[in-house]
Amino acid sequence: MNTFFEYFPTVFQALNEGFLQTLKIFIVTLLGALPLGLIISFGSMSKFKPLFAVTKTFVWIIRGTPLMLQLLIIYYGPGIILQENVWGQGETGRFIATIVAFIINYSCYFSEIYRGGIQGVPHGQQEAGQVLGLSKSQIFFKITLLQMIKRIVPPMSNEIITLVKDTSLARIIAFQEVIWAGEAFLKASNGVPSAIWPLFFTGIYYLLFSGILTILFGLIEKKLSYFRS
Amino acid sequence: MKKLIAFLMALTLVLSLCACGPSKEEAKKSDLDYVKEKGTLIVGITDFAPMDYKEKGSDEWVGFDADMAKEFAKSIGVKAEFVEIDWDNKIMELNGKSIDCVWNGMTLTDEVTTAMDCSNAYCNNAQVVIVPKDKADKYKTAADCKKLSFAVEKGSAGKDVAEENKFNYTEVKNQATAIMEVAAGTSDAAIIDSLMAAAMVGKGTSYEKLTYTAALNSEEYGVGFRKGSDLVAKINDFFKNATKDGSMQKIAETYKIQAALIK
Repeated sequence: MNTFFEYFPTVFQALNEGFLQTLKIFIVTLLGALPLGLIISFGSMSKFKPLFAVTKTFVWIIRGTPLMLQLLIIYYGPGIILQENVWGQGETGRFIATIVAFIINYSCYFSEIYRGGIQGVPHGQQEAGQVLGLSKSQIFFKITLLQMIKRIVPPMSNEIITLVKDTSLARIIAFQEVIWAGEAFLKASNGVPSAIWPLFFTGIYYLLFSGILTILFGLIEKKLSYFRS
Repeated sequence: MKKLIAFLMALTLVLSLCACGPSKEEAKKSDLDYVKEKGTLIVGITDFAPMDYKEKGSDEWVGFDADMAKEFAKSIGVKAEFVEIDWDNKIMELNGKSIDCVWNGMTLTDEVTTAMDCSNAYCNNAQVVIVPKDKADKYKTAADCKKLSFAVEKGSAGKDVAEENKFNYTEVKNQATAIMEVAAGTSDAAIIDSLMAAAMVGKGTSYEKLTYTAALNSEEYGVGFRKGSDLVAKINDFFKNATKDGSMQKIAETYKIQAALIK
């Protein structure tokens, strides 16, 4: 037990650094995938057949293959096919490839949630908007979007908490997030003799973070319950 | 139906475009020129004491391989940069040009030598069996180990040895996981590199109750480069010179592996 306290600061610092990387993936993915998902959802509701077909096929491919495989293809594919590493060297290159893969993957899942939310708003409301002489964009932003947001909170919170844990997949292309940092201690590393507990300890980070998110989404849901008096 | 056929044809067209493959003129450029142009030699490594590791509180990679790589990079007029990779993906990393060489106590197995162009061997190694200390006396030779269930690293030299000896084995992610299997009792024993075993098990580690016994074979370490790379000739010259002027011996002594050096 002595050794535990002796090495805890080193391990804690390494895991914190790893978790910072995890957070970076999480935040940048959300910033990218939330808007991109909306655009994709318009494509999958389009009445223009070719656009509809292309979007649906794209969503099918992305949702139908594992994210781990997409990461491998996106990071190694260009270098192997074009003989040129398009992502740039080192940690930055790995990070960019990681978030590209995550944004594409998550925007496809988000797009289906958005679609469900938009189509769940009764059609009569849009007709009412038309009767009032609102333009198409006014109808979307003032009537549909507002109600869509509150409808999609529960499924979105589900997906976002999944994202917290999916960030660990980035280690497959050697992006050094918190699980990677924990695994590093399985071998002697950073002056700490080989230890197993740091790997299990990473679970605490995920638990705390998803706990915070759960509380946050609970608050948002409460706040958005304004249509039910 | 027509639409479906049209769609499938479009899909085939797109896929065939993707399959066009590498552009020819790029492949012609010499690897040495490519590295010199960048000014860095990117070395793919894993955290593997005493070959590549970080001292406590330091951000610099040290170790026998790391120090030699720095010297080699200096000899061709570039800087060595170290990148941690997933060992499973070393060949993809190399071909995708995210690294320029694999230099991390890599055993020269058939798999490695067919996929990469490798340097001459510079260090001896053996695959050893990791077992709980209290059972160590029972498993001194390969024949004693026949009945055990083994954990071995996927695609490693340890796996080849397990296969040769007709052991009953499971492939796991890496050598560290293999040892964890033994510690957790999910496997009876593991097969890993002797240099790594010496650094990983014993007092002060999570593996105090483990030890290593039977050495199953002897083998050699080398450095891997892309196929057709002209850096291979450079590194063989470098090793020859470093052996002659004693600098290799000196670095080896720093990390206490001089006994394993190939002269």
